[in-house]
Amino acid sequence: MADRGETVAGATPPRRRRKAGRAEARAGVLFALPWIIALVVFTLVPLILTFVIAQTKFQIIGLPTWVGLANYEAMLKDPAVWTSARNSALYAVLSVPIKLVLALILALLLNRVTRLAGFYRTVFYLPFLMPAVSGAIVFMLLLSPTGGPVNLILGALGFDAPDWLRDPSVALWTLVLLSLWPLGVETLVFLGGLQNIPRDVQEAAELDSPKAWHRLVWITLPLITPMILFNLVIGIISSFQVFVQAIVIGGTTGTPAESTLMYMVVLYRAAFRYFNIGYAAAMATVLFVVVLLLTLLVFRTARSWVYYEGESR
Amino acid sequence: MTAPPLAARRKPPRKTLARIVYHAVMLTVSAIFLLPFYWMVISAFKNNAEIFARPMLWFPDPIRWENVADLFTRPDFPFLQQFLNSCFYAGMVAVGTCLSCSLAAYSFGCLRWRGRNFVFGLTICALLIPPIVTFLPVFLGWSKLGLKDSYWPLIAPYFLGDAFYIFMLRQFFLGVPRELMDAARLDGASEFRIWWQIVLPQVKSALVIVGLFAFVYTWHEFFTPLIYLQNREDFPLSVGLFTFRSQRAAEWSMAMMGATFTALPLLVLFLFTQRFFRQGLATKGF
Amino acid sequence: MAFQVSIPGGSVSRRGFLRGTAATAGALMLPGRLMAQDLGPLVEWLPGGSPLFCEIHTGLLAGFAERGGFSSSETVCGLGQNTEFNQSLIGAIASGNPPDISMLWDSPVSLGAQGAFMPLDEMMKGSTIPLETWPGGLLASCQFRGVTYGLPVTAGIYTMWFNQDMFEAKGIPTDRASFPKTWDEMRKLSKEFTVWDGDYLQVAGFVPPRAVEPMAVWSALNGGKLYDAANLKYMLDSEQNIEMFNYFLDWLNEEYKGDVNLIDRSGNFTDGYPNTTTGMGPAFRESRLAGMQSGSWLMGDFYSDPAPNFQRWDLAAHPVGPSGSATAAGIWPNWFVIPVGSKNPQAAFDYLAYLSVEGVVKWYEQIPDVPTNSQVKAKPPASLVERRGQEFADSASAFLQEQAAIVTPMWDSPVQGFATDQMTRAMEKIYTKAATPAEALAEAQSACQTELERVLAG
Repeated sequence: MADRGETVAGATPPRRRRKAGRAEARAGVLFALPWIIALVVFTLVPLILTFVIAQTKFQIIGLPTWVGLANYEAMLKDPAVWTSARNSALYAVLSVPIKLVLALILALLLNRVTRLAGFYRTVFYLPFLMPAVSGAIVFMLLLSPTGGPVNLILGALGFDAPDWLRDPSVALWTLVLLSLWPLGVETLVFLGGLQNIPRDVQEAAELDSPKAWHRLVWITLPLITPMILFNLVIGIISSFQVFVQAIVIGGTTGTPAESTLMYMVVLYRAAFRYFNIGYAAAMATVLFVVVLLLTLLVFRTARSWVYYEGESR
Repeated sequence: MTAPPLAARRKPPRKTLARIVYHAVMLTVSAIFLLPFYWMVISAFKNNAEIFARPMLWFPDPIRWENVADLFTRPDFPFLQQFLNSCFYAGMVAVGTCLSCSLAAYSFGCLRWRGRNFVFGLTICALLIPPIVTFLPVFLGWSKLGLKDSYWPLIAPYFLGDAFYIFMLRQFFLGVPRELMDAARLDGASEFRIWWQIVLPQVKSALVIVGLFAFVYTWHEFFTPLIYLQNREDFPLSVGLFTFRSQRAAEWSMAMMGATFTALPLLVLFLFTQRFFRQGLATKGF
Repeated sequence: MAFQVSIPGGSVSRRGFLRGTAATAGALMLPGRLMAQDLGPLVEWLPGGSPLFCEIHTGLLAGFAERGGFSSSETVCGLGQNTEFNQSLIGAIASGNPPDISMLWDSPVSLGAQGAFMPLDEMMKGSTIPLETWPGGLLASCQFRGVTYGLPVTAGIYTMWFNQDMFEAKGIPTDRASFPKTWDEMRKLSKEFTVWDGDYLQVAGFVPPRAVEPMAVWSALNGGKLYDAANLKYMLDSEQNIEMFNYFLDWLNEEYKGDVNLIDRSGNFTDGYPNTTTGMGPAFRESRLAGMQSGSWLMGDFYSDPAPNFQRWDLAAHPVGPSGSATAAGIWPNWFVIPVGSKNPQAAFDYLAYLSVEGVVKWYEQIPDVPTNSQVKAKPPASLVERRGQEFADSASAFLQEQAAIVTPMWDSPVQGFATDQMTRAMEKIYTKAATPAEALAEAQSACQTELERVLAG
């Protein structure tokens, strides 16, 4: 009996396959056609145009004029680009691993059968329901040195409350913390992975290695590596694209002292505040290439540490 | 060897302690997660001075119920109209997404054709591109078509597809047994009928999940509607709130009330369909 | 969506094409215009404002449109934050579908210089609002290379504000004329008020200026300039400007423990509005600040939430710096522009003419945006009369009109937004002692000049 979803080549008799082949292929292209159109019109063409515009000087009003690599040169000399690239990289390096680890721990904790399970899951999913802007605003209110509860609690516990929004060495952490709040989605992805582990594997593991720690490292973790990969990739991509929270908290100048100036904010600023579209397009091109390389790198290394169970595609 | 049923087991004291510690930790973490929400809701029922009062008010005193009426009757914030706009916008996008993405996902997951893997690879690449990169040419395009000041640019693309959901749905389609489809083919059914009558019912829960996700994400979407729409009456709620906050930066309590009401429908929707959410995310992996 | 990429000096530009089309269309439409009185809607965009503001403008436009034979008028009031409004406007202009007339809260120079707005000089000649009727400093904010791209119909005027009650309590004369005339006098006076409670600033007299928009005024007060429009050069790191910031730093060190964070933690001493990130109320309204610089728009918002705990405030002229010779005022105008591609440019201009002289009377009566055209005979805002009496309202109003005549040129750079961000950053570095004024200003200067040249080239 062929397993669900398995499409092992040669499992179907040749004659049936050939007949099915042509009609299937036609249908395949037809069904995917709307999406292919969308890909071309809304993604490929604008992407190519962006690459082209990156080599022009374009101020929206008026025509673009060719400047070759001048925008890229200007980028190399622009302190704002370097500062924001460093901040974005720092943000990614801080928030992505911390988020992954915390989400994993949380998912493991949520994986227990307990009466309050439903309640806990709802709580951790709630931040998903709040838009990024509101979340950032509420966070700012919470961290307010005057009326904010966070500093009050920290003070009550005896800690020295930092000046979250005004201290340049701390402000980036505000953004990182804000990124950790909607942990719910990553957690539930991990949770899904944990719950997908078949019963028989769990029981066999329990027999083999009664120590929970042992089971975790040698059985559970390897089985959820696909989820780790997925969260890692999505995490990297979205951390470099962080924008709304950065603008709400740091404004267009990344106060205080440009510590919260993110790459996307500089891009946005160049495009819509200075009307320097060519420059923004150059920044976007560089970002695309960097993130693409990072993602490819992750996928490459993934072959050695990700384990797919029974999947043949 | 079968273990005695849970209820019949007597829990040793060590396990009870573990359970207490577990719940203590979880409740503390839950409290931290709930804090921003709680703060938002109580701020909605205070006035500006009370929000920043020192010492802090952990519970509004008095509870300003009139803020609710205030929000609904503001002339510069047509909340009700914007709420309906949001419902329309998010609803249409959800429907369009389900339709278009299930078509594409069926093609990638169940049909074989030349170039399929290449196009799917392109689909993954599309995920890597931040929307702001492709935004300007698309915007100019819609403007040239004269459709700038409408919901067309916001909704129409989703009737063609979206990379994220296509990716997600494909995973589900991969799980549909091939025999079902092959049997239908032998019977002479067209691919469309197979898709509509055989395969879709098999992934019903996945479709509900995609629809709900699309609804929620669209509900929050504010940059695109802001750029394309001009009149306050046309705005969805997300943009209305953003505009309100920009124009009335110091009216905290109103802003919080608006944010609470924006989150409320989603919360209701979530609680109502909770089981789908959890299930859906369980199979989101590769 | 085919735009032509052209090498500098190339042939048919889209602008030329548009102009040609517009001219032809205009010529074709002329007979139609003479025949039917059915002109399409007259469309106006405003960047935002209170409901009252929107209402007033919608009414003014509607009345005008009716008299002019338009089928209807449409006023779009507010689209997100100012940046988004500008984007929408630019997008509309770029796609050839702009409003007929628009108000702007950002300088028309940046965008006018790139051809977004129609030059108004021709239409102004022989109209009711020729160039001579506008104060020079105000007009400068709309002109680039001698061409006028917009009009500053009303403006918020930057002047000094002070708390008469606090002055009286210290036995200091409270009339306008006795207000400090130099920075040294202001600094000396400030010491009478400033009270520290450990690291908490309870009361302050005057605080060194931190807002970036009116910095051009302080520079002028010290005999300098931030930007030289005539020569298209930035002068951020001129001697006078460096001296100015060194003066402010010295003042900060002497009276405010050299730490701006202490000031900020103790309250909002920068302007007359609640701080939007921390929610702290304005110190001025709480009688914790004896005097500050503010725009005249505060007249309308002064009594709103949070309510002030005193009533008697007054305006005064800016004191002069060590290298300065005469006082000056600042502005933040409400500009009006006619976008390129406007379908009814002449009607839009006629509305502008009407608004500048007559419409503003109704506007100023309800909202304290000071009319700037010299022909306007406006009555002060009703709310001000209500609060402080006719005599004070008249005197304040007259004072503002006087100040409008001595406004220093501001908002006149084609790279205004960029320069503002650079100045913000430079000032932050200076006040937090991360760099000396000379260093910070030199960096900002080089960046601004480079950007200016880049925009002007090609």
